[in-house]
Amino acid sequence: MPEMTMAQALNEAHRIAMQADSRVFAIGEDIGDYGGIYRVTVGLLDEFGKDRVRDTPISEAAIVGSSVGAALVGCRPILEIGFVDFVGTCWDQIINQAAKYRYLSGGKASVPLVMRMACGAGLGYGVHHSQSLEAWFTHTPGIKVVMPAFPDDAKGLLLAAVDDDDPVAFFEHKFLYTYKDAVPEGRHVVPIGKGKIRREGRDLTIVCWSRAVHWALDVAEKAATEGIECEVIDLRTLVPLDEDLIHNSVSRTNRLIVCHEACRTSGFGAEIVSRVVETSFDFLEAPPIRVAAPDIPVPNSIPLEKVYLRPESELLDAVHKLTGVRFHKLKQH
Amino acid sequence: MPKTTKKTETANNLTDRQLKEMYRRMVLIRRFEEVAFEKALAGNYANYHGAMGQEAIPVGACFDLTPEDGTMITHRGLGVPITRGVTVKDIFAGLYGRADSPTRGRIPVYHMGEPKLGVLTGTSMVGSVIPLASGKALANKLDKNNNVVISFFGDGAANRGDFHEGINLAGVWNLAIVFFCENNFYAKSMPLEKSTAGGSIIRRADGYGLPSMLVDGNDVLAVYDATKQAVARAREGGGPTFIECETYRWTPHSTAGDREFARTEEELASWKAKCPVRRLEALLLETGQASSEELNAFDEAAQREIEEAIDWVEKASDPGPEVALENVYV
Repeated sequence: MPEMTMAQALNEAHRIAMQADSRVFAIGEDIGDYGGIYRVTVGLLDEFGKDRVRDTPISEAAIVGSSVGAALVGCRPILEIGFVDFVGTCWDQIINQAAKYRYLSGGKASVPLVMRMACGAGLGYGVHHSQSLEAWFTHTPGIKVVMPAFPDDAKGLLLAAVDDDDPVAFFEHKFLYTYKDAVPEGRHVVPIGKGKIRREGRDLTIVCWSRAVHWALDVAEKAATEGIECEVIDLRTLVPLDEDLIHNSVSRTNRLIVCHEACRTSGFGAEIVSRVVETSFDFLEAPPIRVAAPDIPVPNSIPLEKVYLRPESELLDAVHKLTGVRFHKLKQH
Repeated sequence: MPKTTKKTETANNLTDRQLKEMYRRMVLIRRFEEVAFEKALAGNYANYHGAMGQEAIPVGACFDLTPEDGTMITHRGLGVPITRGVTVKDIFAGLYGRADSPTRGRIPVYHMGEPKLGVLTGTSMVGSVIPLASGKALANKLDKNNNVVISFFGDGAANRGDFHEGINLAGVWNLAIVFFCENNFYAKSMPLEKSTAGGSIIRRADGYGLPSMLVDGNDVLAVYDATKQAVARAREGGGPTFIECETYRWTPHSTAGDREFARTEEELASWKAKCPVRRLEALLLETGQASSEELNAFDEAAQREIEEAIDWVEKASDPGPEVALENVYV
């Protein structure tokens, strides 16, 4: 199986999608001639031409709005917003237009577009280029939210997102664009709405997505040397949420950590913890723990950015804390 | 150099039948607006943003469009759906939120679309559909057809960021679209001269390099003529045109809790004197292209159609609660 970076895997997905269906087009800033600021759209302009690979002015509202308009009449746009931090400039188009036209039209219209947005910190880019804002989208009925952690899922989920008739918010962690891994050739599709157990374990469940999956896998390795077996669930999709996968895991391990890079308050981890407590309370031997960034904008100086990124270093502590907790209730076998 | 021309001449190239059809549609929209306003005030539905006095615009602009041509509508008035063939019965069904309605009771009816008739959904965010209209024109371009989009918006929307972005994009991509400003001089209570730097909406078109036309929006034939030129230019690959129609609404911004806005009785009276329906009526009678009996018959038919729609809708049933939960996703 070939190895490639996440950016290359996304590039392949574009190619496959655009070859298969002439209604698919790419639109965004610097994606054509320049090949994209993360190199995701390199070569597409040469292969598909400037009608289907469209460079735009700095006009996020028009990028999203025109993609919605085109999608409403049958096109399948893949739009790129280079930094999710910019999404405020087109927020109305996303939540009030893209998310709601299915509902408003009584089911007659749909908006089959993919909004690719780069998120995440770790490169010292500072407050307006480092945020993780998926929780804004998960709170908007009508949008699906996808966040791959590995190149094979990036390819597979982008293909699934293009095929999906609903608007999909597709988050790519900018730190992971150069992450290299095996990616199946050809039309490899990963279903939206299904998480994946990346590592099995009996002692606790770590639910995570995007870059945090890599943190969790590293921590699981370290914890294993101490005799603690962590089960790592890579959610891959936040909405619709794979609740069964989480429930099944927690019912076996009885302990839950949710780890995400985004800020703690109202992060999507709060939703997962709430649901697990609602549905799986009897299985829990300890209160769930959320490991997340502090509620701060992302500073750009490297030592300060590390404070924002402390979930990475706090995760192992959380594992220790969770497995050190004694619970008074008799364990049911 | 983009041209701005004042269009007040009437067109002589329409047949009697066509002119009478324009009248029939305008009087239907007028009677509809009167009843829609009254029924809102009576509490049958939460709100209505009336467009009484602005009937020439939907009728004139949409007269020659085919169902493949798209129109993005505003929140104000339902003249565009009506002139393009949505029945008043369906529209009242939507206003009353009934189960048997195109909107299934979920949305304010100015969001409704009827894709088969080329009526594309609107939005409450004035101006937000301008980029969408450009997007539809983009889809037409990719499809290599010569369908056209008309993007309607008001004077208020002309100050939104989406106005700038959507029009700029259509300009750089030379899209087959007509940007159509219904300037009724007030955005809710805000008069144009207090909100619009430079004092002119149409001059903004110069900035985008678009040809433009300033039109008497209460002269249905002037509206027809201007739109016909703009649509022809778009179909032939000549890109966008910007039309500004000057008109006026006789009613407040909406029925829901809006006080009458600060305009004088004189101002209202001067615009009522330019009533678009009366003007076409006068033209038809003067030229002998219609008799007053014929025109009265159109009026009576309009009132009957609306009465029947109201009779039906007042007895129609509401949607069941499950309808609220459907169609969030495909």
